[in-house]
Amino acid sequence: MANIRDIKNRIVSVKNTKQITNAMKMVAASKLRKAQERIINARPYADYLDMMIRTVKYKNIGTDNMLLADTNGNENNKNKADKVALIVITADRGLCGSFNSNIIRAAQKYIENNQKIDVICIGKKGYDQLKKRTDKIVEHYNDFFNEMDFAVCRDISHNVLNLFLQKGYTKIDVIFNEFKSAIQQNIIQKQLLPIVPLESDVVSQTDYLYEPDEDTIINELGEKYVDVEIWRMLLESSAAEQGARMTAMDNATENALELINELTLMHNRARQSAITTEIIEIASGAEAISE
Amino acid sequence: MSKVRVKIIQPTRVVMNEECDHVIVPGSAGDFGVYTGHTPIITTIRAGILLIYNGNKAESYAIHDGFVTVEDDVVRIVCEVIETKDEIDINRAEKAQKRARERLNVQSEDIDYRRAETALSRALARINTIKDY
Repeated sequence: MANIRDIKNRIVSVKNTKQITNAMKMVAASKLRKAQERIINARPYADYLDMMIRTVKYKNIGTDNMLLADTNGNENNKNKADKVALIVITADRGLCGSFNSNIIRAAQKYIENNQKIDVICIGKKGYDQLKKRTDKIVEHYNDFFNEMDFAVCRDISHNVLNLFLQKGYTKIDVIFNEFKSAIQQNIIQKQLLPIVPLESDVVSQTDYLYEPDEDTIINELGEKYVDVEIWRMLLESSAAEQGARMTAMDNATENALELINELTLMHNRARQSAITTEIIEIASGAEAISE
Repeated sequence: MSKVRVKIIQPTRVVMNEECDHVIVPGSAGDFGVYTGHTPIITTIRAGILLIYNGNKAESYAIHDGFVTVEDDVVRIVCEVIETKDEIDINRAEKAQKRARERLNVQSEDIDYRRAETALSRALARINTIKDY
């Protein structure tokens, strides 16, 4: 039978842990709400750019533009280097269940399947893990998710776009967690460049005047589209991260509660048997005297 | 008189969705005004002043880049940064203007001239927004 004091100490420490996990759950819940709000706020801008890209596509303008994929989904990159790039979006912090490890596993698989590849990591966890396993990381960005600033995202996406144009990748894919619900995250692999517009019938039929000219417009449009695509993925990932953390911490809190109950039971048993032993000792002592 | 609807959309929020009499937009090929019945157009925006008129009263905004489309009396302005008069820090803008001019006057390979030029035009847009209107 374990020492009564030891059990008591363990109960206290488990209670402390439970308090921490519970607090983390609350924090994650409030951050999740904020992240969801951000996603909703970003929607009009993203939808609008989507529509513009589709319109341009629909009218068959700029089919030789580097940023756009042609109608068969093939790339227009003439001087292609036969190399692809992968952007891996993970969280900066842990304690969120299998959120990071799932992404890292998917990324590793992708890297194994593509020999000529450059990897860009957004999020500290992914970088820390992947740098041990591959030497193909060309860029990494840490601590983005603390601030969630569009200006920072724009810097990242400008770098990505420059890399795409300079190194002539055939395509850039992104692996990230999509926010499905607070308890479910889906791992998504999506092509970022060249741009493949979403399938939809919503196109503007209007004949626009293009000023200064179509090419300038398409380049600008493409640039902005990449900005907002990355922004959208980062928002998704951050919402998914908070959701995953919330669930993980909820489970941890529950486990701690169970453990506390078990330990309390053990503690009571130990206490009881100690009392029983004491009573027996007293009783037999008293009997010895009376005889 | 019928009105023009102005929508200003930023990546993080929709800033404005209102009706007004007419708008003057700093397009990359020159400022242009939009009244009702304007022909459909897509153009990029250069750093400058966006004016939104209601009667004789004009509201001015400093705007730095983005797009504008005009279609069916709706002006959609898609931009990353837009500032009202109150949001502009005039001291900072003037310092930025000075700094950018100094950089442009020096001949050196270390200087990113395009960046300095953008910085200058942004600073000027801010300063003019406050001074002229």
